Formats: sequence, structure tokens, C-alpha cells
Amino acid sequence: MSAPSSGRVLHGHPSALPGVETTATVLGWLTTVDHKRIGILYGVTGFAFFLLGGLEALLIRLQLAVPHNTVVSAHAFNALFTMHGTTMIFLAIMPFNAAFFNYMVPLLIGARDVAFPRLNALSYWIFLAGGLLLNASLLAGTPPDVGWFGYANLTSKHYAPGPGVDFWILSLQILGVSSVIAAINFIVTILNMRAPGMTMMRMPVFVWMTLVVQFLIALAFPPITVGLIFLMFDRFFGTHFYDVAAGADLHLWQHLFWIFGHPEVYILILPAFGIVSEVLPTFARKPLFGAPVVIYSGVLIGFFGFGVWSHHMFAAGMGPVADSAFSIATMLISIPTGVKIFNWLATLWGGTIRTTAAFHFAVGLVGLFTIGGLSGIMHASPPVDLQQTDSYFVVAHLHYVLIGGSLFGLFAGAYYWWPKITGRLLGERLGRLQFWVLFAGFNLAFFPQHYLGALGMPRRIYTYPADAGWTAGNFASTIGAFGIGVSVFLFMVNAWRSLRRGAPAPADPWDGRTLEWRTSSPPPAHDFDTIPPVYGRDSYWREKYGPRRGPAAGATPPSSGAAAGIHAAVHLPAPSHWPIVVALGMVLAAVGALTHVSIVLLGVLLTVWGIFRFALEHHRTTAHTDQTGVLGLDHRKMAMWVFLGSECFFFGTLVATYLAYKGRSVVGPEPHQILNIPITTLSTFDLLMSSLLMVLALAAVQRGDHRQARLWLFGTALFGLVFLGFQAYEFTEFVHRGFTLQQNLFGSTFFVLTGLHGTHVAIGVLWLLSLWVLALRGRLGVADAVKVEIAGLYWHFVDVVWIAIFTLVYLIP
Amino acid sequence: MSDEHRDGEHPTVGTYVRVALVLSVVTALEVGVIYVRQLAPIIVPLLLAMSAAKFALVALFFMHLRYDSRVLTLLFAGPLVLASGLAVALTTLTGAFLVFGR
Repeated sequence: MSAPSSGRVLHGHPSALPGVETTATVLGWLTTVDHKRIGILYGVTGFAFFLLGGLEALLIRLQLAVPHNTVVSAHAFNALFTMHGTTMIFLAIMPFNAAFFNYMVPLLIGARDVAFPRLNALSYWIFLAGGLLLNASLLAGTPPDVGWFGYANLTSKHYAPGPGVDFWILSLQILGVSSVIAAINFIVTILNMRAPGMTMMRMPVFVWMTLVVQFLIALAFPPITVGLIFLMFDRFFGTHFYDVAAGADLHLWQHLFWIFGHPEVYILILPAFGIVSEVLPTFARKPLFGAPVVIYSGVLIGFFGFGVWSHHMFAAGMGPVADSAFSIATMLISIPTGVKIFNWLATLWGGTIRTTAAFHFAVGLVGLFTIGGLSGIMHASPPVDLQQTDSYFVVAHLHYVLIGGSLFGLFAGAYYWWPKITGRLLGERLGRLQFWVLFAGFNLAFFPQHYLGALGMPRRIYTYPADAGWTAGNFASTIGAFGIGVSVFLFMVNAWRSLRRGAPAPADPWDGRTLEWRTSSPPPAHDFDTIPPVYGRDSYWREKYGPRRGPAAGATPPSSGAAAGIHAAVHLPAPSHWPIVVALGMVLAAVGALTHVSIVLLGVLLTVWGIFRFALEHHRTTAHTDQTGVLGLDHRKMAMWVFLGSECFFFGTLVATYLAYKGRSVVGPEPHQILNIPITTLSTFDLLMSSLLMVLALAAVQRGDHRQARLWLFGTALFGLVFLGFQAYEFTEFVHRGFTLQQNLFGSTFFVLTGLHGTHVAIGVLWLLSLWVLALRGRLGVADAVKVEIAGLYWHFVDVVWIAIFTLVYLIP
Repeated sequence: MSDEHRDGEHPTVGTYVRVALVLSVVTALEVGVIYVRQLAPIIVPLLLAMSAAKFALVALFFMHLRYDSRVLTLLFAGPLVLASGLAVALTTLTGAFLVFGR
């Protein structure tokens, strides 16, 4: 009946079988790979961090309630707004979104789980590790105090000598890894695991917004990762990336931060847009008005989101041409955003509206986000922005977007999907009361801040004089903030009462439109007894009320042989403890970076060991051999291509920084004085030829030629080692000649760029040697060709990156 | 549904060897042209073109994009183009590569 070490295969009709992970043991939760449980873990953890971030906000507001207040010191105030911003963005709103992605996306597309359930667990545990590490800075008494934006050079050793910034850097790096892994997982899941008949344009809007957000995460996180690597090198190893005296440009950090930071706004808000696009049609009992346009608008917002980052830097003095370009782009992005607002309004028009709590929150988003959007358009104008920047007007704007938008949307989602997740209904009256308390408290807290900003109150000041004219606005704002606190408390009471003695929820309590309402509340471990047929957009609604238009091409009628096969064997992945081991290794390495290098080594060893065991856990599991999805592509291969797309941003940022800093060093040597082109040409040739050996290895594995497979795999790894040998020789030679990381800007950019490429090569060599060992032991057959193929894709990518580096760094004068 | 292998084409070992040969020749040319003084005015675009050609050859043949699903090409080429645009914008905005001046 089951194969405990290799996943659970349920035979017979699944509804007659017990759920795989229904036991609520601690071990069960620690090793779970079920998307629903991971969703709950994200939600609960996010809520705990949300309370912490909320407490920090209340302390901020208490301090500012009256002039000359002394609740906290100036230093503590700096730490509070830094931790509040970082916590709410990375540890509350993002994981709330992740909770809904995890729980709902597979249900909405008619899948049994995500493409990579263990990677999903890994994402969660890494996220938890990053969140705990950041908050450990509070326990250590050295929280970061440089703002969530961490502008250079406030973050330099000179201005921030304590470990607070180091906690911040390392936590954000860890959280970034978690987000990118999850993004790759969800892109593959959405593209490749849709139920038969679920074409892209039939996908629910929430799934579409999830997809856009995952691309934003996969592509926007690498630039901030690179920016943080630079900062880490500056602080730990004395490089000069943000050292003006060495010729650096502090704007570099601002660019890297906002290239990430602006898409991050959409990462936070688009899921809420998706939720509202599900909630409003359900409670208006009408299809979403112009659903394809809402989808295209979301995609456009995501695309334009990469071209507007510098509107956060109008005050930095970029010049009129750049200001104009970013101003136009920012105004453009408001068009697809506005389109959505009108679509939601048109959805309500003429609808048979049921004013549930979820509906209240969804409509609240439409109104409040519009206010935030309008103040955002004001910032698109550089002259206006110059007046408003760094004032409380901006604080009001961003909270109208992130609370009025994201949080109201998330509460809408919480009330809407709570019955599906818990099997119990939330109290509607209490829910509506919570809405009105939140609505009143939020507006009281943040609307006066527009006026405070217009009156000249700067952001991030810890107190103010009594005669500034800001007292009444601040006092009202503090009262409002506590109103928000009360509303969150009401939600907790509602949740507690629902879990204790809430009315049982039927499968479809709202007369829903999408596939998640087709299964029980809560769903069984395998989600659906049979993969649901998809009749069109709002498929479940059509199934209930017609017209169905018949099953779409590829849909499986429930009585067919294929469906009978689904009944006969549902594969569910087995729990795994390796994700938590890998996450522990990562956080241990980060703790080591703050304490002692031996702990770093221990952490790295644990991580590498965990990754090996993780990778080999299901090497021989038959159910894992074929991972072909609806696009006819292997999940793993798709995931590797998405990862390589993300890597384009990583290396693109590194190369751009090298070029931006080229010729700006204030001391020598210059590149032409030190680089050894003949030697590097040899190493380039070696790496190019390793790619030839790699494709020969793949071809040998595909045709089952074990001898040649072993030969070419080892050859590729050997050529990789030779390349690393060349690099070691080059670095050693440079150091002997006095050219180091710390020598000048050129040294910093050169060593970090080529060193990170070398690290990629080293990882590739380790990967290839692992495959070679498997081949030697006769454990690499034709069925494993895709494993060699994805290793090969990674290897070739490392090769093409070097092709670019060789030209841009070594050859171009 | 699937166009995993477009037109049923499969690269042969001979194709791989020819591509490797071209890559080697172009690499030699890249290094050679930097010593030709007459090419100085066009050296940067020339080197960039040769580098792009090598990049494309590896991606199309060794990474099989020429033969694989267009979805994979989109997943890679989209971010590659966007990342290249961002890199140009970043170098422009920091003043290292002034396309339109300040």
C-alpha cells in the first residue's frame, strides 16, 4: 500500500483512504511536504512576525503621540522603524502571500501538490531561519538601525560598527534564497501542472497574479542579492563597493536596492489584487468583468515594474533625462493599475451582492488602494516628488498601498478561504466589526500623515517640537494605530472561536466559482479524488450552473481509463527531514559569520551534506523518474531554465557594476596593467571544451553507453578543475603583485565577479563528480538522463557567463 | 501540446564537434583582433558581436534551445534581454556608459 521511504502511493479510490499526513505530531509538521500544511506554516509564522512588527509600529506611534516624548530613545527609534519595515515586508506580508500561494494554487489549478514538494518545505524552513536570525538581533541587543532600505554608506563599518547591519544582511540573503526557490517552484507548478483543459487564459486571476509575482521574485531578488554581497564584502573583507574615497558611487546601492525594491511593491500587492479578483465575482455572483484585461494588466504591471525603480531616487540628482524617463514610465504603470480598479467596479455593477466580511475587505481594498495609487501618481512627477520625498506624505502613501492594498486583500483572502483551510466558518458579524474597526483605525492612523507630510514633518524623526503644528495629526495617528491593533485582536478572537467551536464549513460555503470549492473543507491529503475536469474560466461555476461547453481538449472524463488510473494510484511524496537540515546548515553558517569562522565551516558542511542527501533521497524512486507535465516538459528541466533566467540577473548586475566602476579607481593598477590575456585565453578554451565534453556525456547517458558516460562526465569535471586551477594561479599571481580585493575599486569588482563565477564552476564540478560517482556505481541509467541534462544546462550557463566575462573584463580595452 | 523537440531534430556528435571548433576559432579571433591596430575604432562592437555569437552557439546547440520547446527559450531569453537592458541602464545611470547624457 505504501512505500514509506519513497512517497506514499494510494491504491483504490482515494476518498476511501486515510489522508497521508493527518497526524498532528511535531515530527509530522517538521517533515511535512504537503503544500497545505506548508501553507499553514507560512500563515502562522507570518502572523507571529506580523504581531511583532505591529508591536514595533505601536511603539513608534507611542513615541510620536506627543511632542518631546521619551518612550524610546532616538537609537531605539531607529532600530524600531528598521525592524518594523523589514519585518512587515519580508516576514509578514510576503509569507502571508506565500501561505495563500501554497495552500490555494495547487487547488485552483487542479493539482495534487506543487512541482517540488520538498523544495517547498525547504523554502519555508529557510524563511523561518532567516526570520529568526533577523529577530535574534533584538535578543543580542544589536538590532539593525539603518532603515529597511539600508542606504549606503549608513551601513558602512564606520557609521554602523556593531553587528546589527550584519544580522540584517545575512537574514535578507537567507530570506532571498527562500523566496527564489519558492518562485522557481511555483512557476513550474503553474505552467506545467495545470489540470487537463486548464489553459492559461482559463486560470483564475489569483493564479495569474501568483505567476507574475513569482517571475518578479525570481528576477528582482538577484540584484539586491548582489548589492548585499557587495555590502557584506565591504564590511567583512574591506572592499570598496560603497567607499566614496576609493571612487565608488553611493548611488549604486540605491539603484540595486530599488531595482529590487520597486518590483517588491508589486510582489506585495499583486497577490492581493488576485484575491480580490476571486472574492468580488463570488459575492457579486457575476463573472469578473473583463477578466483577460485584468490578467494582461497584471502582466503589464509586472513588466513595467522593472522600469520605474529610479522614481525612488528623484531626489538623488540623476539629471533631467533620467528623471523624465522614469517619470513617464511611472505614469504609464498607473494605467494597468487603474484598469483593474474599473474592472472590479464593473464586476460589482448589477451584481447580486452578498456583503460578507470577505466582501467588505475586498471592497475596502478597492477604495483604499485607489487613494494610495493616486498619491503614488503624484510622486511620479519629479518636482512634486522633491517636495514630498522623505516626508510623512510618503509614509501615508506607502501604508495606503501596503495596508489599504495588501493587508485588506489578505484579510479578504483569510475570510474567504478560512473555511476551506480549517473546515470551519469564521464569525461573520465579528468579521464585519473587525473590518469597520480596521477601516476606521487605518484611516485615522494614516490619512492625517498626508497633511503632516505636507506641513513638512520628515520621516524617521523620533520626536518633534510642540510648535511645529504636527501635534494633533500625530496624536490622531497614534489613536488610529491602536485601532488597527484592536482590529487585529478581533481577528484573533474570531479565529480562536472558529477553531474552538466554529460552525462546520461545507465544501462550497460561498457558492464558489473555482476548483478549490469542488473538494472537501479541508481538502484531503491528495486534494482531489479525481483530477477535476475544466470547462472554462470559473470552471466549477459552469459545472454547477452551465453552460459547460463540454470538457476542453485534453480533459479527462471521470469514467475514462486515465481517470481510473488516477483512482488506482495517487502518488504523494513522503515526508522528508532534509529540508530542515539544509536550512539549519544555512543559518548555522550565517551565525558563524557573526561569531567564528569554524561555525561557518560547520554550517557549510551541514548544508552541503544536507543537499547531497536531499538530492539522493529519491534517486531510485520510480514515481520520481517521470516528471513530465502538461507542457510535455520535465519539471526539473523547466526549473533549471527558470533558475538560469534568474542567474542572468545575478551576473548581469555583477558585470554592470564592474563596467560602472571601470576606470574609477583612485589608485592603480588598471586592468591592462595586470590582466594576463594569454593565460586567460587558455582557461577560456579549456572551459569551452568542457562544454563539448558535457554534451558528449549527456548523449552517452541518453543512449545507455555507461563507459562513455563515465569518461565524458569525468572529463568535464576535470576540465572544470583545470579552469579553477588557472583561476587559482591568476589570483595567486595577482596577490603576489600586490593586487588584492582591497587594493582599489577594480580589485573589488574584479575579484568578486570572477570569484563568484569560479564558485559557480566549483559547484558545477562537485555536481558533475557526484554524477560520475553514481555512474561508476552503475546508478546512472537512461532514466536518469534528465539529471545529467540539468547539470549540463547549469554547466553550459557557467560557460556562457564566462564568454561574456572574458570579452567584457579581459578583452575590451 | 508538447513541442519539446522541434521538428524531430536531434543534434549529432558531429554537430557538437563543429560547434566546438567554431567556438575555438572565434575565441582565437577575439584575442587576435585586439592586437590589430587598424581595428581599434570598431574593436568594442566587434568583440561584443563575436562574444554574442559564441554565447548564442552554446545556448542554441549545447543547451539545445534550437531543438527544445519554445517555452524554455522564452524562460531564458526573456530574463536575458531584461537583464541586459537593466545592465545598460545601470551603467548609464551611474555615468560609466552615457547613452543620453545628463
